[in-house]
Amino acid sequence: MSAGYHIVVCGGIVPDPLQTLEPVQGPAGWGLKNELMLPAILDPWAGHALFEAANLAKNVPGSKVWLVSMGPKAKLQQVMMTIAQKVPFELVVLDGPASGFADAHETGAALAEAIAAIPGLDTSRLLVFGGWQSASRGAGATMQVIGEKLGIFEQFQGVDKLEILADGALRVLERVEGGSYQDSVVSGAPAVFGWATGELPEPPNNPQVGMQNMRLVMPALQKAKPVKLEKGPEYSGVQIPSQKRETRVVKDAPVDQIAKEIVDWLSA
Amino acid sequence: MDKILFVAQTECDGSLSKASLEALTAAKTLAEQLGAPLAVGLVGEAVQAAADSLAGCGAEAVYGVSGPDFAQPRYATDAAALAALFGATGAGIVIGAATPRMSRVLPGAAARVGGVSDTSVTALAASGGKPVVTRWYYRQRMYAELTRKERPWFVSVSSGCFAAYAGAAGSASVTAVSAEIPGGVRTQVTGMICPSAEEQTIRPDAALLFVAGAGWTKKQADGAAHAGEAEEIILSFLNKTQGSLGTSKSLVDLSGEGQQVLSFLSHMHQVGQTGSTPRHPKGLATCCHGEEPHVVGWRFIGERRAVNLDPNCGWAQGKADVLYVADAFEVMRKVLALLP
Amino acid sequence: MSEIERQSMELDIVCVGFGPAMAGFLTTLTRGLADENGAPLLESAVMPGMPPQVICYERADDIGFGVSGVVSKARGIKESFPGFDPAQVPMCAPVTHETVAYLLDPHGASRRQELLGLADKALGFAGKYTSCCRDQAFELPYIPPFLCKEPGYVFSIGQFNQWAGSQVMGSGLAQIWPSMPVARVIMEEGKVVGVRLADQGVDKKGNPDACFMPGMDIRAALTVIGDGPVGPVGRNLDEILGLPEGNSQRDWALGMKMVVDLPEDCDLPEGYVLHTFGYPEPDIFGFLYVLPDRVASLGIFVPSWLDIPVRTAYRYLQHWMTHPYLWKHLKGGKMRSWGAKSLLESGRRGEPHLVGDGFARIGEGSGSTNVLTGSGVDEAWTTGVMLAEGVLKLMKQNQPFTKYNLERAYVKRRRESELEAEAKIAEKARDGFGKGFIQGLAGMALSGFTTGRLNMPGDHRDPNQRVPSIEEYYSARLSAQEIEAIREECAAKGEPLHDALMDRVGWPSIEYDGQLLVSHQDALLMGGKVQAPGGYADHVVFADPNVCLKCRERICIDMCSGQAIAPDPEGGAPLFDREKCVHCGACVWNCSKPHPTEPGRTNVEFRAGAGGLHSVEN
Repeated sequence: MSAGYHIVVCGGIVPDPLQTLEPVQGPAGWGLKNELMLPAILDPWAGHALFEAANLAKNVPGSKVWLVSMGPKAKLQQVMMTIAQKVPFELVVLDGPASGFADAHETGAALAEAIAAIPGLDTSRLLVFGGWQSASRGAGATMQVIGEKLGIFEQFQGVDKLEILADGALRVLERVEGGSYQDSVVSGAPAVFGWATGELPEPPNNPQVGMQNMRLVMPALQKAKPVKLEKGPEYSGVQIPSQKRETRVVKDAPVDQIAKEIVDWLSA
Repeated sequence: MDKILFVAQTECDGSLSKASLEALTAAKTLAEQLGAPLAVGLVGEAVQAAADSLAGCGAEAVYGVSGPDFAQPRYATDAAALAALFGATGAGIVIGAATPRMSRVLPGAAARVGGVSDTSVTALAASGGKPVVTRWYYRQRMYAELTRKERPWFVSVSSGCFAAYAGAAGSASVTAVSAEIPGGVRTQVTGMICPSAEEQTIRPDAALLFVAGAGWTKKQADGAAHAGEAEEIILSFLNKTQGSLGTSKSLVDLSGEGQQVLSFLSHMHQVGQTGSTPRHPKGLATCCHGEEPHVVGWRFIGERRAVNLDPNCGWAQGKADVLYVADAFEVMRKVLALLP
Repeated sequence: MSEIERQSMELDIVCVGFGPAMAGFLTTLTRGLADENGAPLLESAVMPGMPPQVICYERADDIGFGVSGVVSKARGIKESFPGFDPAQVPMCAPVTHETVAYLLDPHGASRRQELLGLADKALGFAGKYTSCCRDQAFELPYIPPFLCKEPGYVFSIGQFNQWAGSQVMGSGLAQIWPSMPVARVIMEEGKVVGVRLADQGVDKKGNPDACFMPGMDIRAALTVIGDGPVGPVGRNLDEILGLPEGNSQRDWALGMKMVVDLPEDCDLPEGYVLHTFGYPEPDIFGFLYVLPDRVASLGIFVPSWLDIPVRTAYRYLQHWMTHPYLWKHLKGGKMRSWGAKSLLESGRRGEPHLVGDGFARIGEGSGSTNVLTGSGVDEAWTTGVMLAEGVLKLMKQNQPFTKYNLERAYVKRRRESELEAEAKIAEKARDGFGKGFIQGLAGMALSGFTTGRLNMPGDHRDPNQRVPSIEEYYSARLSAQEIEAIREECAAKGEPLHDALMDRVGWPSIEYDGQLLVSHQDALLMGGKVQAPGGYADHVVFADPNVCLKCRERICIDMCSGQAIAPDPEGGAPLFDREKCVHCGACVWNCSKPHPTEPGRTNVEFRAGAGGLHSVEN
């Protein structure tokens, strides 16, 4: 693979999981309370996909990484200032909703259209990366939809490892039940990979990478295409689970008694 | 009237998984509530045995895509099979289990046939003559009830939400469906990498989830950390109880910071915000800290107990049924002694 | 670490810390770098053919994280944005009502001078027969003009910074990089030639670890420092250069604040501004500003002249909120976010060297806060604007950023400004508080009404010299034996002292309601949301841990906003947990022991650290 890969990473933004999240119904449908004020981050699994993509591109000369992201432009700009310091990529922006309540199929179709429109993209060398689920919708559907729309039918989900074999084939480990991995080999690009955690730590912030990315980030934001998602589910309600348990606190009890209680409970 | 198609892939031995049988209950119940016809679509190397096991489910027809190509769990063949089954039945609603194999293809298959999907639903029932599903958003922080007008509508059902179908077996007539695989198949599944019996600590069907928090690796009263002993206690306990192991993000992350951690832990053990939310009847959390965002790891655990030195532990207060304020090392040593 | 090979990058201007001052600087600068059509007017010296390369590094995870609600006349901001429309900025509203209230102590637990006690009694008595004193509070019938904020705005600095920052970024003429702490300035032959970024991939002590990446050297013709009063770069420069003769940074306050969803039945109007004093301690000032959508920004300031050796901001904040005068509005409210920040209350007296060869200082850390009017955001903004105007002039004339040129282009501008004239009036306005609360109020009035011609004399000891021993402070109420017993009990439980002592001397316990009144730990989890990216060294360091071993006060623990400094159960120096630190900087001045080598400083060092609060509502 002397020509390298064209790696397109699909990565949305999600509210920082540490924030208090509360659903509210607005004129445009369901969303989160103060959604635009909640600090956003790159979707964690998509983040892993991006770091894996950058690492792969570094190791295979001639490769290039794009990050395709849909979200409100202003929010994306903020998140990109953090992400752009991590690894080199070229940004493609869709100015649209980043809400978990947006439909996966509509989102997938919009992203696929944006990917297909990337100038110079060679689909025979294309690897589409993303998180296997988002931390917002959590459907695990968008990547498959993108693949279908782009006509890529070699797809993998819950990927923790991707290895280039000597013959140019790709070895993939996917998470399956019971802590096991399914081990597969795909003959080469094009293919779709929904990443789980991967194997790489978060790269440190590198000011030079930031400078290099920024030349393309701001123009990409400026020419972001507005995207409106028309269809989606009809929600009859969104709620926070309210069950609060009455916790019996056992304090100052002898260890023997606690252990016996636990054993009795386990065998009950 | 929506026709409902239940879809499943067979296991290596030709049977259906428990998760698939649960999804069948969901499909069958919905069909009954809506007064809609039910069809079954099976995918696998051979599907007759599985079809026979469902003979009493009340399906008007059973369709099968089979052959050596369909033995392997991979996207190209599985998606083609689902699309073909849909094509053969013209169903309005397609229901499968949210197993890794089905989850890999179900949304894509929906997209291929111009449909939509909702995945990992935790409830599915007719309401006002319409099918309504419940699914969780923002990493199990909130849930929504929703329906859709668009058809076909592909739905995958989380395991543990419905009773597994247990009707009588019989003899089923399977209509063979051939699946067109666009672009051929370029993927070969070469094997499975499974933890050995001793290392097996993730057991989705276990009665108990044991959650180990970062406290296990912190300094204890004698001023030293005892990760070795912690490992031994946890593994012995899991072996004796055949429980499944979950951990907190902070414990998994500690390994990245070069601290003494438990050797058998991986990211796959992680429960909570950026991990899994497994379903088990009982859960025992030890040495776990954190607030709401982290506690979603045991959102779907039935009975919950916790052992923690901090009486105000966010994992426990209002989230567990019982909190034992005690040293987990001492308690678990004793528990091990008492367990047969 | 000097042998480590470091990467280096050349810029035209490197900026440290994105707060209101830097927002003012970059807003003005970027506007001057291009014409109306966006065509560059100036060229980069380091990248010929490109516009000047201007980059700002910010330690927080985003611009505008972890700052405060504010009321401001916003004169400088309005000048920068003619026709400023508050509706453009989330959480911003014009000031509509102003009230100043003196709060009586309903519990008799605060420390009050005798004269104040008499005044309280008189007010309490009068309140029974007139309406002048309701809900244990006396509303001032008249607000001195120097305290009035009308016409002005209430807003969230976080939201304002985001708004201003996104416009700067959108211009494409400056970049603001968050999550990038700056360790120190680089000095060569007495000139500042840039900054060194913090090392990444290091352990708690700063030693290289997995993924080690030495902090890059960013070299630039001009370094603009606006990292606030506890910012490590400004303080590093002060260490090297000292402060100008006669100047000192002795007066501090910790602002602890919340953003609250007011209860449905609260009838406080949007734009309402309340300032309080008198309670929970007489010299703890409080504020409540009503922003749009029934949201309030509220909080208290705990000053360094509060000579109590077990002071705590969080519990005081709860006592303040539950004062009858406030609780009637707040009961049923819900905390949205929470935070804290140190304020340099020395004002102009705390001014460092504003410029030198290759550097300039702006904002609060440059002594811009007006301590009489209690205003700092607009002043900080204005210093940034003035520097940018000067810098643009020098760049257009192709003049180097020497001390001489910066003096002419910036310092002269600042000295001739209204800001400076007002700062001079205010310079000694708070001195009286060093002697006592009544003297402090009288001093403010004296300075305010005589426009600084007459001032109350003060007490100018370093903060660490002001702290009495616990035994001394509580001598009238608790015996040394009782204190020792409490101390031992707290040590055994690993808890700070202040709660036990406050309980003991009559402060009521706080009844938690689970939404506004919650434990300190819950406040951190619900409203704090601290981020501490991995791979950075601890930024709070005890200079000489042996000194801590002997310390009997350990106010650093009591005053730590994030409970990030805790007693060591093994009896060592206090322990610091980076993952809880909100970067308020209270530890820097809430230490009763002097620094072993740096005069005027305490035994706590506050270095470069990434992360902090993850909220932009404050």
